[in-house]
Amino acid sequence: MKDPDHFSREDAAAAERVTVRPWVPRTFAAILRDTWREFLDAKVLYLLLLAIALLFGAALTGRIEPQPGGRQYLDIAARAMAADLDGIDIATQSMGDVAGRLNGSVYAISAAEPLAADLPAGHWKATLTRTFVPLVGAPESGEEITARFGRIADGQLWTITEILETGTDWARKIGSQTWEMTVAPGRDLRLLWPHRFTLFGDSVELAGTKGAPLGLEVLILQKLLATGLGGTILLLVSVAVTAAFVPNMVRKGTLELLLVRPIPRWQLLVFKYVGALLLVAGLLGILVLAVWLITGILADVWSPGVLLALPSLLVFFALLLSVSVLTGIITRSVISAMLVTVAYWAILFIAGQMNNVAVESRIREANVGKMRPTSIAEAIRGRQPRREDGLQPGRRPFYQTTIGRITEGVYAVLPHTEDLDNLVDRQLMRDFAVAGPFRALMESASFSWEKGLGLTFLHTFAYLAIACTIFSRRDP
Amino acid sequence: MVVSVKQLEKRYGPHRALGGVSLDVEPATLFGLLGQNGAGKTTLIKILLGLVVPTAGEAALLGQPVGTFSARREVGYLPEDHRLPEYHTSTSLLDLYGALQGIPRRQRRRRAAELLDLLGLAGREKLRIRGYSKGMKQRLGLAQALLHSPRVLFLDEPTDGVDPVGRKEIRDLLLEERRRGVTVFINSHLLGEVEQLCDRVAILRKGELMVTGTVADLTRQKASWLVAFDRGVPVSFRFPGATIETVEGGSRLRVSLAPIEGPGAEGAEAIDTFLAAASAAGLRLRHLERERATLEDLYLAIASGGETP
Ligand SMILES: Nc1ncnc2c1ncn2[C@@H]1O[C@H](COP(=O)(O)OP(=O)(O)O)[C@@H](O)[C@H]1O
Ligand SMILES: [Mg+2]
Repeated sequence: MKDPDHFSREDAAAAERVTVRPWVPRTFAAILRDTWREFLDAKVLYLLLLAIALLFGAALTGRIEPQPGGRQYLDIAARAMAADLDGIDIATQSMGDVAGRLNGSVYAISAAEPLAADLPAGHWKATLTRTFVPLVGAPESGEEITARFGRIADGQLWTITEILETGTDWARKIGSQTWEMTVAPGRDLRLLWPHRFTLFGDSVELAGTKGAPLGLEVLILQKLLATGLGGTILLLVSVAVTAAFVPNMVRKGTLELLLVRPIPRWQLLVFKYVGALLLVAGLLGILVLAVWLITGILADVWSPGVLLALPSLLVFFALLLSVSVLTGIITRSVISAMLVTVAYWAILFIAGQMNNVAVESRIREANVGKMRPTSIAEAIRGRQPRREDGLQPGRRPFYQTTIGRITEGVYAVLPHTEDLDNLVDRQLMRDFAVAGPFRALMESASFSWEKGLGLTFLHTFAYLAIACTIFSRRDP
Repeated sequence: MVVSVKQLEKRYGPHRALGGVSLDVEPATLFGLLGQNGAGKTTLIKILLGLVVPTAGEAALLGQPVGTFSARREVGYLPEDHRLPEYHTSTSLLDLYGALQGIPRRQRRRRAAELLDLLGLAGREKLRIRGYSKGMKQRLGLAQALLHSPRVLFLDEPTDGVDPVGRKEIRDLLLEERRRGVTVFINSHLLGEVEQLCDRVAILRKGELMVTGTVADLTRQKASWLVAFDRGVPVSFRFPGATIETVEGGSRLRVSLAPIEGPGAEGAEAIDTFLAAASAAGLRLRHLERERATLEDLYLAIASGGETP
């Protein structure tokens, strides 16, 4: 007996009936089930699943169809042979980088004929000509051409299956070579090939009548549905639902029933937090997986870069949830928890955007007078590099203005969730060999997973720790 | 002692909720704590449960400092104005609390079914608490307090909102728990109920303990009687040491007698002589009843600021 005053029970069986044993996994599992119930009770799950199903349904009415375009990409492949592009990063490096690699020859397709339909999978018969300065450059063999034609950086547009040099010796001597070749599509040709994108039968045209490169279409679709609009809506709903969890738990009359249990108070809070996080992870997982499947089924493009959106969104939500928990503990009000969390999100977004402007102004400043970097991917689509203009005299770049300084100072201590988003974008651009309007930002070395995750985790942990401390100390 | 409290004090800022309360409660007692709103009853219970930290003084539960996990495993608690999470059903809620209490799954399921049956909640397992009546919530609240077969029960206003039949059932249940050796600590406004149920009571006023004792002691008999004769008492009738007043609209007489010192119940012999005198005066007895001080008398006297009678 533990204490001398212990009384004897008449009903000894009753004492044996309930054996009480502390066990953390049991506590965790119980709170997880409780959170799941509370979430189901909000009835949002069914709406979300319905929304995702509708999205799926709408997307599956879509059709992505290749347009004629083989000749254009044969030309590009020929032109690109003028430089040695091995090891170049197609998404981030610029034409300036290419200039030093020119080999002094010019290549062109003089005639081309599709062997079947003009589709990404079609083979071609084509005539390639090379012009070079006889004393500087040497004639090339068919093997050399086969090794280089269609390769841009680590991308493979075409492969030559047969090649026969047809030019005369005479022409060769004055710097002109000609080959008749049979060409097969390379691994990456499809992503660059122009495709039409229509929804609901033929009624909505999304990429213009001429179509757009398949990779770009997939990228925009994935960004819109996963990290963009879709992810934002899902996160907003998640914030709204989970904002009620903590205030409901710490309500007078409910809290006492929990605090009286033989477990530490912080466990109640942290397990509830983790429970909510797992729930939302499931939702985000469903969304991201759905997006991956939708683009996969529609475009038959299965590159997994979009799955990176899951950790990125989840880490961001973990931060938002910690803000919501802290506010909920302090104010005990659902509305406050929701509003403060959304306001925090807005502040992060604005600070992130302003910081992007500051970073861009630094990049521009560093590049004044140089050729403005145009990515190879853009160049392939025919965009010319431009010279970077300096600012008007007397105007300071944004990062040197007071607001710019404040922006960078504030952003330096905020969680770098914007970086995580940028990093996902960068991955998508790599996957699909395209560069968006923020390409210059993408090139900036100031984004890294380590820094983005580190600062975000630090903030998340700090808010949670403060919430736990208040929760453990306060009288109910 | 199950509960042992010495010079317990709790301040909320400048406000003193408890001012030096000392109290002992023995095992297998039904202990009633009375007092007006704001007297500090709930504060005292919360300190004993380790939910609220006292400003000064000592409190021990089952010989251990309050708030330790091993002490908490032994107590069941029904908070006043409790709000059970509405999204649960009775079974899922008991399952949650049972798990937090540390009871393995199979045992807590069996125990929950048993308690729901005992408290008359069986058959409504699918219903969310949202759809419960106040009485049902109260019963479920009681079920969660009993879930882990605690040795001490703290019930803050346990019969609030329960119908009379339900109250009787709850009373029987608590008596059964006490019979099994459980100590039950009840806060209540319902004096009649406490009087009926409790062995011992204490009355708090503004954070001070005014009275504590057995119910039998506190409601001891008074030296006054209610008497009715077959006809009115003649004006000429006199009895030394007795004050006679008419009560209950003239149908009864209250006879207060000066107590006779010595062994035996006070005033018992005095009433005999009084009745003999009345009989001699030709009055025939129709009704005789000894008046008792109810808990209510005592409570009102204390609540109104008077001293202990
Ligand atoms: N958390 C709190 N903060 C401030 N004052 C409190 C708090 N809890 C109780 N009090 C005050 O302490 C006093 C005793 O309250 P309580 O123990 O709830 O009384 P009772 O249960 O007897 O009605 C009341 O005056 C109340 O206002
Ligand atoms: Mg109270």
